[in-house]
Amino acid sequence: MVDAPLVVEDWDRLTFRVNRAAYRSEDIFAQERENIWLHTWLYLGHETEIAEPNDFKARTIAGRPLIFCRDSDGVVHAYLNSCPHRGTILCREREGSTKQFQCFYHAWTFRNSGEVSSIPDADAYESSEEFRALMRLREVPRLDSHEGYVFISFDPDVPPLLEHLGEAAEYMTMIEEQHKGGMQTLPGVQLYSVLGNWKLAVENAMDGYHFSPTHNTFVGYLRESGFKVTDDDQYAYNLGNGHGLLVLTGHGGRISMIWEPRFGEAERVRTEAHRAEMVERLGEKRAHYVADESHILFVWPNLLLFDIEGLSIRQLEPVAPGRTDVRAWQLVPRNEESDARALRMRTVVSFVGPGGLATPDDIEAYEAVQRGIEATAGAVAAELDFSDMSRGMTDEVKGVQGRSIDEGAMRGFWRHWVGAVGHADGLAVRGDRPARFLTGRTMN
Amino acid sequence: MTALEAVTRSEVEDFLYDEADLLDSWRYDDWLALFEVGARYEIPTTDYQGWSPHESGSFVDDDWDLLQARVKRLKSRKAHAENPHSRTQRLISNVRVFPASDGTVRVTASFAVYRARDGHFDTYVGRYDHVLVVTPEGLRFRRRRSILGHEQLAPGARLSFIL
Repeated sequence: MVDAPLVVEDWDRLTFRVNRAAYRSEDIFAQERENIWLHTWLYLGHETEIAEPNDFKARTIAGRPLIFCRDSDGVVHAYLNSCPHRGTILCREREGSTKQFQCFYHAWTFRNSGEVSSIPDADAYESSEEFRALMRLREVPRLDSHEGYVFISFDPDVPPLLEHLGEAAEYMTMIEEQHKGGMQTLPGVQLYSVLGNWKLAVENAMDGYHFSPTHNTFVGYLRESGFKVTDDDQYAYNLGNGHGLLVLTGHGGRISMIWEPRFGEAERVRTEAHRAEMVERLGEKRAHYVADESHILFVWPNLLLFDIEGLSIRQLEPVAPGRTDVRAWQLVPRNEESDARALRMRTVVSFVGPGGLATPDDIEAYEAVQRGIEATAGAVAAELDFSDMSRGMTDEVKGVQGRSIDEGAMRGFWRHWVGAVGHADGLAVRGDRPARFLTGRTMN
Repeated sequence: MTALEAVTRSEVEDFLYDEADLLDSWRYDDWLALFEVGARYEIPTTDYQGWSPHESGSFVDDDWDLLQARVKRLKSRKAHAENPHSRTQRLISNVRVFPASDGTVRVTASFAVYRARDGHFDTYVGRYDHVLVVTPEGLRFRRRRSILGHEQLAPGARLSFIL
């Protein structure tokens, strides 16, 4: 049981504290499953993962095994991966191409558009036509997409996807605008699993404060290769609805958009040409916002887009309070020339993923938090069992935009979380809370 | 070792066992000396179906510059993911040697790498698919590739050390 508030804001002392039970408690994990994951839009996958009719992927989202597929007419579906007959996992392959899904147990067969195609010995059922209609594949209640990112909801009554995405939608569009042919995912998916709560992975992504100390060796590598690493003049934004955004300009170049020495001379020439093409296509101002900033975008609750040196899509799948499965896809321009593609792949995975030169230190951080917070569990003084996220509140209370090296984007996340999780003793506010918080970002 | 024909399986096995010992004893400068200049180190993702790392995502896709940066990083006490170091023990078997017409030797083998850290004990099982070259100093890596046999990395099992 959790007998203290989950989030404590103190506007007299300017502190913001999160109850560590939120990372650890089985009860809270169950409440999250029920109140968050079953009632919001969730990132399922990218349309280009199932580019051709009949393509499918089997994927577990919010603990539920699903089939993400494109039917023979090209329509995208998300089905529960469970035979309507007796519940068997219907599709036991991880990926492939098929017009029909057949349950091996009793050989019930379904078209990839969901209808029953055959039930052996079907005349044993009283009304076989009506029965067949009832037994079609179970679709996840809602499915919609934005710029190729496919989202689902288990709740039929969620607001429209674009309303949920709000300002986050714009940053997804900006990724799509980087190259005139648009973007696609590649095979080679990083599947790993972290011994930490999913919210630690979100915090880490919205936390520019850790970059210099945690990634000391990566920063050293960039500096030696001739890139000037800085944390100056960079900001973190709450985009509303739990979404967050880090805008970074001093952590690394951007393949095809901002050259840095380690990318090599051929890439410098390509970057100049592509940057000119962007200005022609998008106009000077739009090209600036699309090209000249790195963005780390968190889309509540399970999607992180790393629009940095290259593009990486990261999906969080909470498995237990102390375990999160992570899936990461590389997103690339369609029709990219092979030298540029090779540079992009090498550069992206040199940073991100469990074998990169940086992500393992992030994983070390959230696994070390998950282990460390055992020390204060059920502590003699309950006050000790809190983590501090107060950095930048002196600016926040004045309505000043928070820096990337503050903790404002994390506070926005936790304020949304505490409202969504529906815990009886959620938010405690001491002192006078500001009438409103800065939300969103104006691009002039 | 004078001509290609002279590369025997036992010589390749000695090379792999010596390498395993260097890695398990965290002698990374000596390990890097087993590579020719310009060599690569690769770990494909667990969904690998034989595609080129240049056209797909990977866990590791190091060119020579990145490989040197990786070693430099691992020797730093600021490589937090490996400070303290993972304790590893490697078993290598099923070694096969395929001389190629370009003077290189393709070597495949099975590996099991056991890793202890943070109260956990992980096992990484897979196969090597290396390209070696014969030099006056002995065998050297041109391409060192570790292919995991897992469906996904196990909880807590990252690739912050050399697999």
